[in-house]
Amino acid sequence: MRRILAVAKNTFREAARNKVLYSLLFFAVALILSALALGQLSVHEDRRMIRDVGLFGVDVFSVAIAIFVGVNLLYKELALKTVYTILPKPIARWEFVLGKWLGVMATLIAQIVIMGLVLGATLMVQGGWDALDEALAKALWLLLMNVTIVTSVAMLFSSFSSPFLSGLFSLGVFVVGRSIPDVRALGERIGGWAGRAVAAACAVLPNLHLFTPSGSALGAEHVSVHGAFVRASYLGWTTAYAIGYSAVVLVCAMLIFRRRDFI
Amino acid sequence: MTDGESGGADGDDDARAGSAAVVLRAVELAKTFHLGFFRRRVDAVRGISFSVRRGEIFGFLGPNGAGKTTTLKMLMGLIFPSRGRAEVLGRPVPDREAKRRIGYLPETPYFYEYLTPEEFLDFAGALCDLPAAVRRRRADALLARVGLDHARGRPLRKFSKGMLQRIGIAQALMGDPDVVVLDEPMTGLDPLGRKDIRDLILELGRAGKTVLFSTHILPDVEMTCDRVAIVVGGKLRSVGSLAALLSARVLSTEVVLRPARAQDGPGSGTGIDAGLPRLPPGARRLPGDAEVALELPAEADVDEFLRAALAGGAAVVSVTPRRESLEDLFVRQAVAGEGATP
Repeated sequence: MRRILAVAKNTFREAARNKVLYSLLFFAVALILSALALGQLSVHEDRRMIRDVGLFGVDVFSVAIAIFVGVNLLYKELALKTVYTILPKPIARWEFVLGKWLGVMATLIAQIVIMGLVLGATLMVQGGWDALDEALAKALWLLLMNVTIVTSVAMLFSSFSSPFLSGLFSLGVFVVGRSIPDVRALGERIGGWAGRAVAAACAVLPNLHLFTPSGSALGAEHVSVHGAFVRASYLGWTTAYAIGYSAVVLVCAMLIFRRRDFI
Repeated sequence: MTDGESGGADGDDDARAGSAAVVLRAVELAKTFHLGFFRRRVDAVRGISFSVRRGEIFGFLGPNGAGKTTTLKMLMGLIFPSRGRAEVLGRPVPDREAKRRIGYLPETPYFYEYLTPEEFLDFAGALCDLPAAVRRRRADALLARVGLDHARGRPLRKFSKGMLQRIGIAQALMGDPDVVVLDEPMTGLDPLGRKDIRDLILELGRAGKTVLFSTHILPDVEMTCDRVAIVVGGKLRSVGSLAALLSARVLSTEVVLRPARAQDGPGSGTGIDAGLPRLPPGARRLPGDAEVALELPAEADVDEFLRAALAGGAAVVSVTPRRESLEDLFVRQAVAGEGATP
């Protein structure tokens, strides 16, 4: 465990000293704060506006950071040959991959916490303590689960591809994954072998729509981050789904990394 | 393959030394890469067998592209052999216990440039499973040992090539390994930097560590190694001690004379060569003005030549028999290897 944590700590430290991440975080915070001004322009919808724009900012920037860090993660170790110093040490390759993933997750948790705190503070400025509720915390938790999967997918691509291609693939998976219900409906409408191919793809790709349920109907219930949001059970099984999916993807990344020659 | 000590396979010699004395063994290691779109086959290493014994400094020599780094990477578990096996203290590589006993410095090492030496050594120690207190103690000792105590708080991105090489050796030693493997540790260093690394290798040897290092800088090998292996074209050409590998036969004799007076040419001419005896066949004049330096071939009768020179009034300044050097052997093996490699 010490070895895995050492890699995780080093990965976190690398991210913490990366100026690009600070820039992304700066823009996220700027977007959230701009919601305050947008709220002033809306009529009686200021709190709703801040919450929507703020959560949108957290979502977009956490995914951007997950893809940016995830695709560079293993590739950079290989391109800069730092891996030559690490892997001859008594650490297994799967431990190295897991350590890197944990380090990125620690980075993302820190980023989402910072963005969440800024969003919370912005809401408080507008509506006092009442503006903070359980729905906000649940929404942020779901966004964290969302980037858990995105990071794992980015890392899988990073284990065998260049950052540019990995970034494109990861972005593609994110876009399709976020639209799974629509893509699935499209496949049903097409029918035939193409429809079956779309259904198979939907079964393999992560259903990231689960993590932004606000505005949709879950069974008989309509959920909204501005009112009655998801139940604890929903959080439970979506968390299990995110961890399970990430675990499978990570194992694939480990298997690819395990057999690689570091020329 | 020539073998200086056993005259046969390196394994025969090891059997005599006792298997307990062998700390690192490569058995028929081979690696074939398939490169490019058309999967072009490249045989980088073609069945190399050698062993390194406890406490010795072992030089792994070869020209660029000979397969040295690929072989070392196979020993370190960074590249999987296409054939053959590698063992460290009887355990197969990349077994974790085997890796625990090895410290490795890669060729032109790259480190996490945002870390300070202290942080980097702490990280290296954690990867070796060392508790925090041991890591701190060892990092302090190693920073002092490699002469980087003054730069402990400076990020690695601000380090010179020589300093990076030294911190690289320090990280290789964090786990207190029995075997230290250094890939081209002197490459790119100035003479002072090379001397530092050479001294460090000798110090490791004195401390009882087994050191294997690859290089093509031959004077460093002559000054440090107990035994060497020469690899050319992915094949092992020689392995053994320098004394056993280098021929004791005199290749030529360098004679420096101070002639008595100016006359015509060597033997009978004018100028500085006045009074010198006629040169034996194959002899040649070496550059020089004040004295006459001559290289006499191995088959020349040096005694007779010197007697004749003394009789002609010349003074003998020096007589130096030249035996085969490591460079001669290296070039001979490299040329032979190139001829044999398809």
